[in-house]
Amino acid sequence: MTLRSLWHKSPFYFFIPTLLIAFVLLLLLSYTIKLEEQIGRKLFTISTSDLFSITQNCASQVENLLHSQQDYVEALKNDVTLQRRVESYLKTLLTPNIKYAYLVYKDDRGIFRFLSDASNKEDKAMINQKLDIESPEWFRIYEEKRPVIIHHTLLHQLSLTYLLPIQYDHQVQLVLAIDFSVQKIEEVNYVLTILKRGIIGIMVIIGVILFFLILQAIRLKDIRKNSFIDKLTGVYNRNYLQHYQDLIPLDDYIIAALDIDYFKKINDTYGHDSGDQVLTQIAQTLLTSTREKEDIVIRYGGEEFLILARMQKNDPSTPLNIIEKLFSTIQNTRFVLPSNESIQLSVSIGVNLVPQKSRTFQEAFKLADVALYNAKSKGRNTIEIYDESGHKDQRGHLSLAEIKAAIEEDRLTCYYQKIIDVETAQISHYEALLRLFDHENCIVTPDKILPSIQGTFLLRNITQKVLGVCYQQLRLHPKLCINVNLNPQDIIDETILSLLKTYAQDPLIAKRLGLELVETEDLVRKEKAKENLSMLKRLGYQIFIDDFGSGYSNFIYLAELKPDFIKIDGSIIQKILTDTISFLLVKNIVTFAKEAGIQVIAEYVSDEGICEQIRDLGIRYAQGFFFSRPEPASSLCD
Amino acid sequence: MKHVIIISLLAIFTYADNYTFLVKPYQKEIELEAKIIAEIAASSLNEPLRLFIPEMSKLEKSVYAQYATLSATCEDANFIFINKNIDANSICHAKNTLYFTNNYRKLLSDERYFGAFFWNKSRPNIVFIQRRLQAHRIHLPSSFEQFIESIE
Repeated sequence: MTLRSLWHKSPFYFFIPTLLIAFVLLLLLSYTIKLEEQIGRKLFTISTSDLFSITQNCASQVENLLHSQQDYVEALKNDVTLQRRVESYLKTLLTPNIKYAYLVYKDDRGIFRFLSDASNKEDKAMINQKLDIESPEWFRIYEEKRPVIIHHTLLHQLSLTYLLPIQYDHQVQLVLAIDFSVQKIEEVNYVLTILKRGIIGIMVIIGVILFFLILQAIRLKDIRKNSFIDKLTGVYNRNYLQHYQDLIPLDDYIIAALDIDYFKKINDTYGHDSGDQVLTQIAQTLLTSTREKEDIVIRYGGEEFLILARMQKNDPSTPLNIIEKLFSTIQNTRFVLPSNESIQLSVSIGVNLVPQKSRTFQEAFKLADVALYNAKSKGRNTIEIYDESGHKDQRGHLSLAEIKAAIEEDRLTCYYQKIIDVETAQISHYEALLRLFDHENCIVTPDKILPSIQGTFLLRNITQKVLGVCYQQLRLHPKLCINVNLNPQDIIDETILSLLKTYAQDPLIAKRLGLELVETEDLVRKEKAKENLSMLKRLGYQIFIDDFGSGYSNFIYLAELKPDFIKIDGSIIQKILTDTISFLLVKNIVTFAKEAGIQVIAEYVSDEGICEQIRDLGIRYAQGFFFSRPEPASSLCD
Repeated sequence: MKHVIIISLLAIFTYADNYTFLVKPYQKEIELEAKIIAEIAASSLNEPLRLFIPEMSKLEKSVYAQYATLSATCEDANFIFINKNIDANSICHAKNTLYFTNNYRKLLSDERYFGAFFWNKSRPNIVFIQRRLQAHRIHLPSSFEQFIESIE
């Protein structure tokens, strides 16, 4: 699923870390502010603990000095000696942290003026010089007649002005002012600065880490997105499905498996570039026919797509309408090839409308796959809905995904059934039969494997695998002859032909490897197929026509193909004792074969009566449970 | 996302001088001084202000230019603010020009100055001498009343 779906599934995965980080940062910030306030308060208390008493003492001294005077202001203005003594008192207050100490009064206009100033010559104010005050707090001392502390909050350093009233007859006559700064407590300031810088540093580091985490998350999202996109078609790929399949809410979607009909023919006829272009156009058609934010399109195999159409509440038909729409859109579209030719295509679609009834996505997908198989069985170019009641017998079929997995995990093998020379009772050949081990290590037979992979590249892969297995057995047992079943498509497949040519370089292999083919219209009508068969015969391979007498059988074409053996279909042999037509059919085939120089093998010989009958008819070779069942490679003997 | 980050960074850098003086030199004091001088000069003159400050630094120029029209020479100016330890006589002899100082003692000693703006006990102080205001026929608004001193 997309991150969007993950978000739907578990938003807390995103919320909790974000909230936690935000909470920690807020906590840190509030702690810093509180700490700063606390240290500021503490600093103020420590710094001013003795300041007030010393200043108070100085004010008392000045008051005592002026006590005999009625008008302190005039006395000071007029008496230089008095001025010097007051200044000397004020100077005792000056320290590195008390920068200014001065005596002022308020005139009739409400303007403060200096009477004495302990500052050095450059800063010293003159007597009666005006002092512009910055705060109306200064006037409060005349009303309250008590010391006033004015904090200078705007300044960077912790500083204050301390005002003390000097009274005469309960009237404030003078104001002793000191400007105090705590900058002198450098050690405390230093520690505080380090602490603040440390906290800011941590916050910066957290911020940087967070920034890089976000950056990495974005990059990871991009990388993941790229790894989940099929480069050819631009839709999601198999990785995406594997990664998110457990997160797909089965209640929310219907699952449709789509297969392009006869896609292999496009590749074979027009080339792989055309095949790729068709795939791209199909994918684009799927994307435009589905809802961008609701539905998901995945290419999970060569020409196989999976569509997850989201169900709307109270309207379960909508997603099926979408599938029908895309089906008809594909039917009505002409797909342009690189050569500017255009072709029409059809698709087969299997739909599972009830994925929620399955325990896992894989199970739900398998049911869509079963429906797809049915669509193919019914002649393709159709939509087949999975019907639980009507498909119980299909439950044993493997899905394409399971077969692919089995090939990749090397769980394919061959069992071997004897073909007996009835005249000598000796083993003439073995027929290699495909077997697959499922995840429970149970054997799965071809009837559960082959139907769903007809027309797909998987069939060729399986032939390749079987040929490889048999080749190894032939090398291990130099006297054995083994037959391999080929599909009509294999005869025109370059990969298979190339493999057979390679094996034929060892003449001892080619003459012992029989190629069994079912006689079909394709096989006999295609010149290429006939040419390839002739070529294989020249290389030394023996050609066996399988299931002769059933389906498409034509004596004339049989003469054209010139096989070495024909294997009469088991369904005819089984009835040879009871059905006159079957008996006559076999008798005529044998007569024709003898005249054409073709050896005959009877299949499905299940008892002694049938064995006797075929011997009487002159059939030399026989195969069936009467002689042996298919057995693993360990039973092979030269 | 990229655009949001770029726009945020641009906005932060544009207003960086509001948060730190690492980007530009600290200029708050000069700003305050420039505002006050521009206000005083504008209130003192009956014509558009042409301010001259001798030996102006780059920072002063950039700050003062925001609040007043600066004059390159003393002769072209109608308001001269001497904020450095410079002898006013050595600068110019324009007669119909208003002189302002940043030194209280200079104000008292030199008749040419009609007022001063200076820092006293880390506080900004403004003083006008009433007699000199009258001599220059300067009528300040009532908001300046508290700064006028009748010093003889």
